[in-house]
This record gives sequence, structure tokens and C-alpha cells, in this order.
Amino acid sequence: MRKKILLFIVLGWVLLIVGDRVDELRVYQGAQIAMYTIALASIVLLTGYSGQVSLGNGAMMAVGGYAAALTLTNLQTPIWFAFLMAVIAASLFGALLGAAAARLSGPYLAGTTLALAVGLPAIANQFTFLGGEPGILFDVGFPPERLGEDFTQYKWFFWIASSIALVALFITSNILSSRFGRTWQAVRGNALAAELAGVNSSRWKILAFTISSALAGLAGAVFAMNISLVAPGAYSLALSFALVTGAVLAGISSLPGVAFGALILVAIPEVADALAGRLGDADKLNNYLPGLIVSVLLILSVIYTPNGPGENLRKLRHKRKAH
Amino acid sequence: MIRKTARKRTWFVAALLASAGLFASTLPANAETGVSSSEIKLGITLPLTGAASPGYNKIGNAMNAYFKYVNENGGVYGRKITLIQKNDEYSPQLSIAKTNELILKDKVFALVGPLGTANFTAVHKSVGIAKRKVPSLFLNTGFSGFASKKNYPTSFTILPSYAMEAKIVAQFIKENLTGKKLGLVYQNDEFGIDALGAFKDAGVKFDVSIPYTSGTQSAATAQTWVSQLAAGGAQVVVFFGVTSATAPLLAVSAAAKYAPQWILGSVGSDPLTLRALGVPVAVLNGALTPAGNPSPNDTSDEYVKQFQEINAKYNNADFDDYVLQGMNIGLMTVQALRAAGRNLTRAGLIRAMESKGSSFASVAYSPLGYSKTSNVGHTGYYMAVMDAKGDRKPYGGSVVLYTTDSAKGPVVKSNFKRPAMPAKGLPTNS
Repeated sequence: MRKKILLFIVLGWVLLIVGDRVDELRVYQGAQIAMYTIALASIVLLTGYSGQVSLGNGAMMAVGGYAAALTLTNLQTPIWFAFLMAVIAASLFGALLGAAAARLSGPYLAGTTLALAVGLPAIANQFTFLGGEPGILFDVGFPPERLGEDFTQYKWFFWIASSIALVALFITSNILSSRFGRTWQAVRGNALAAELAGVNSSRWKILAFTISSALAGLAGAVFAMNISLVAPGAYSLALSFALVTGAVLAGISSLPGVAFGALILVAIPEVADALAGRLGDADKLNNYLPGLIVSVLLILSVIYTPNGPGENLRKLRHKRKAH
Repeated sequence: MIRKTARKRTWFVAALLASAGLFASTLPANAETGVSSSEIKLGITLPLTGAASPGYNKIGNAMNAYFKYVNENGGVYGRKITLIQKNDEYSPQLSIAKTNELILKDKVFALVGPLGTANFTAVHKSVGIAKRKVPSLFLNTGFSGFASKKNYPTSFTILPSYAMEAKIVAQFIKENLTGKKLGLVYQNDEFGIDALGAFKDAGVKFDVSIPYTSGTQSAATAQTWVSQLAAGGAQVVVFFGVTSATAPLLAVSAAAKYAPQWILGSVGSDPLTLRALGVPVAVLNGALTPAGNPSPNDTSDEYVKQFQEINAKYNNADFDDYVLQGMNIGLMTVQALRAAGRNLTRAGLIRAMESKGSSFASVAYSPLGYSKTSNVGHTGYYMAVMDAKGDRKPYGGSVVLYTTDSAKGPVVKSNFKRPAMPAKGLPTNS
């Protein structure tokens, strides 16, 4: 435990230095990576550990984002309280969904969560207090003055997002290496065997949905902070698919891999931009290339590295050791 | 042993990340972002694809065509203009991401002609336009909130505000349609609420008032509007929304043979978008609309004629209101850059807009309001009537220009004569 705390402190310190040294675009992308890291951790917990497939994490992020934005706008609370409300709202919603999901499995569960990813953000269009299609501004305010004049807004976002990501990952990694993680793995491996051993698998599945949704909601609030906005279009189906791709690339049951998955998700538009620039007619290509890359990566990783490249590397290392 | 290996790994990761951070460096500073001795880089975000793209997707290319024309004729004090267009699909979050790219990655000197109220509100806040002191010229939105010099010190609008538009429509109703039962359908956000406030101030009371939430509207929704309007006996219906909402409203009304006198807001009456949405343009026949520019088909207008020639040579797009608007933003941008002088800086450009912007040549009939205390562009409209092809003619046969402000100022008929088009469409101002 002490080692883990030390590792997270060192990581935080390194991020602090890096944030000071890179230009603003990279700082902004760093905040996005932190957001995706939390979102991918929620999928690793749900799918990788408890074995439930969800294509609706974008919708959970929307619940968190809207809860935080409504708290911040209507109650003028401090930022941390808005994030807390995002966690509470999303986990409550997740518990409800989990209760329904515990009765489903495989493609039926995927289908239900997919419907949620399509339908839930669109609800905002129907209610004026949710801001309709343009959404609601999410204003966390300027960075504190004592940080200096040169301390930019994006660096402020980066600090907040990175701190939240580190704390969220620390808690998640402890949960996964505790009795919780082991029980979820048991349920995932063989629900019947787990039941025979006295585990109430439905209850554990609901718990996984609740905690995973809390993480997704937190990611949704961080996302809202990064773009200063919550809007239905921000939590699109494309986001849900990108998250699944990121999680598969990260290694669906590997928590340390989520940072790698997040990095790839942020890098995809950059790669698409560079590719489009080389292929000519950048404007048109740029519209479709990121989606194409996400889809191709997802297909390739499902075929060649179904548990993520991390898993393959680990197997390769074990093989070498065995020889 | 295990502990030692784990610790080693921890330190290795830490050292690797730290060194990556130390090697990463910021780019060297230059004289002014986006300006070199031979080039001025400008950026625009607009919907090139998606539901809102028909029409708007022509603006960037039209601006580019005009800039090509200027570049071939010596540029701006020898510097060529490069316009970078980014597709935001009319969504605020994409607008933010793309504006970030324009400012932080492409390092443009200024933004010109960004589109959409919600988009620019979000961009301004998120990207920190004012804090970065990035000039944002000729915003293509009429939201009167942007008229605040305090909140938007580096931004300048081009269109008259929705509040001005509503005040002018209110004046027109009072002068020409008194005694008729009035209906109003409006988008329930900054756009429509801006107008609603202005109607209230002008003392125009609506017998039927229908707010709707922004977004794609279905025929079923439009049916409920039409039922309410017809039940209320509205003889004149004012519509303040976007064309994708006008389309089902007019289509359903035509099918139900409900034919009030339509007064469509300037952004909700675009024939091209109606056609793209599968609604026959003929439904516009007889509708009234406030207009700022001459018809794009009016070749007797010196601006339209010159822009049509440039379009034919450099763009080859169907010449419509959007192409006209894009070319005009190009023309005004070049005047602003020239007015800022040879030693081009962001601060200098903003000063030039404030001190000389009101004298720029522009295709619209009304005066420009730029000054040290105002970042508002055009300040008036004339009422036009549309025909079955969606073309417009001034109501009553000749242009009667009304000017006003976004606050409580009066609506007045104006004899303002716009500056002449610069010779060959090439500004020589300084």
C-alpha cells in the first residue's frame, strides 16, 4: 500500500513537471488524457473484472456531466462539490441500470446499454432546463490568482483533471485488488460456481455497475470542465464506441493500461489530421478519418489482441521466461 | 527481491516521464502569432458537414475565393492571406476543439467569421479568446450578448442583433399590420429570447406565443404549432428560429391550408436550406423577412456584380446569399488588415476595428457601429417580400432602411448611403 501511494505521488509530481514544460495544446490534450483514463477505468472495472459488456458509458458520462453542470450553474457551489454530485448522480443511475442489467447478459446487455447511449443524451433536447442542443456552459472559473498571471486556464484544467484521475485510479486499483475485485472475477469466470460458493452474483453485478457508473460520471464531469460545456452532442454514440476501443486497446482487464488507451484516443485525431494532410483534401478526409481509425483499431484488436496488447506482451514475456 | 524489482520499475517509469517532460519544450516566440513577412494566417470554424451545413458550408470557400483574388493582386501590403477552415458540424464542443487547433496548433493570427451563437459563446469561454487577446472578427451571429465590449473585448459582430431585428419587425407590424391577430413561434434560447425581449419593449403583444427548444423539429411538433396558431386565429405569424424549423412549420401549414402572413426572421428564411430539407421553396411565396443585403441576383448592385465576377473566376459556386456574405466578410477582413497597418499586431487590428471599422465598405445597406465602445457591426434592416423562387424584393418596391440599437433606442428610418465598392473590389484604405 505504501509503495502504491509513493508511486502515485511520484506520478503526480512528474505530471506537474511535464505540465510546466509542454506547450498549451499538449497541456489541453493532457487534461483530455486524464479524462479518458477515468472513463476507461470504469470500463475495465465493469467489463474486465465483472464481465458485463456495456456500450453505454458515454450515457453515464452524460449523467455525470449534466449533474455537475446543473449543480455548478444553479447552486454556484465549489468545483469539488459539482464533481461529487456527478459521482453520486451517476452511481444512483448506475445502480438502477445495474438492477436491470443483472438479469441480462451478452448481446442483450450490450443492446440495452447501446440503446441507452443513443437515447439518453438526446433527452436533453427535450428539456429547456438542460439547455437543449446547445447545452449548458460549465464554468469552473479562472485559476486562483496566487498561481500567477502566466498560469493558463488549460493548465488549471490539467491540474484538476490529473489530480482527479490519480485519486480515482488509486481508489479503483485498491478496489480491484481487494475482495471486491476477486469476487467480480469469480462471477465473471463462472457465475454458477460463484453462487455455489455463497456469492450473490446479481448483487455483485449491480455493485460493479454502480461503481463503474460513478467513475464514468466523474469522467463526464471532467470532460464538461475541459470543454466548458455539457451538450448532448458531446456525449455521442461515437464517444461510447471510442471508449470501448480505448478499453480494448488498453487491455480490457488491465488497469495500468488505461493511460495507454487514453493516450491513443487523444492521439487519433492528431494522426488523422497528419494523414489527411498527406493524402490531400484534408477538410473532407478529416471528417471521416478519426471514425475510420477507431473502427479499424477495434476490429484489429478484437481479432489479434482480444485482451489488449498488454496481455499479449505479458504472455510473450512468460513464454520467454518459460524457455 | 520482488520489492527491489518493483521499486526499480517505479523509478524507471518516473525517470522516463520526467525526462520526457524536460525535453518537451515550447515553441520559440516570434514577432506576432500567425504573421510573417509573406503571410497572414486566419482561421474559421463552420459547419462543413451535418444538418446545419447546407449553405453555411459555402461561406469559407467564398472567403477563400476573395482572398485568392486579393493575393493575386498584391495581397495585404505584400502579405498573402491563408484561410484555414475547420469543420465544427455546428456543435459547440467541436467548435471548441477546432478553435483550439486553430489557435494553439495552426497558430492563426485571428479568427474571421466564426458561426453560431452557442458555438461562439462556448468557444469564447473555453478557449479564452479575450484572455489570449485573439481578434475574432465578423462573428456570423446576431446574439446581442456579444455586443458587450466588457465581456467580448476582442470580438466584433457583423450581423445586426436579433434584438434589433425584432425591434424593426415590431415597428413594421405597428406601421403596416395593425389590428391583425398576431402569432409568434420562437426558439427558446439566447436567439429567440433576445427577440422576445425586444418585442415586449416595443409593446407588441402576441395573441399566440409558442416557444420551442432548439434542435431538429419534427412534422408532428410543427403540427401542434399550426394547430395552436390556427385555433388562436393568428393572421400574422412571426417566426424566430432556424430554417430547419421553418421547413416543417411551412410544410405543415401549406398541407393544412393555413396561410397567415408569415414574417420570417433573417436566419429562418433561407430558400436553399428549405430545398435541402425537401420543402418546396414556393411555400415562401409572399413571406416577409427583414434583410440586410441586396438580393444576390441583383446584378445592378456594384458589390453583387463584382463578387459574382470573383466567384465565377475563383470559386465557381452557385452565387447565393451565403457566397455573397462570405465574399463580403473577405472584403471587410482585408480592409481591417490594411487599417491595422504594415506592422501587423493583434492589438493593432483591434484598435483599427475600433477607430476605422465604421467606415469600411460593406455590401449591407445599414451603417456599421464599430467604435471604442461598440463591437456591433451592421445596425439595420429593410423589409423584403419573397417570391415563389425564394428571391426577395424590397417591400413596397424600394429599400426603406430602418436602423436601431439592441437596447431601448428608437427605430428610425434612415437615409444612410453605404460607401462605394472599392475599385475592382480591392480596398486601398489604410
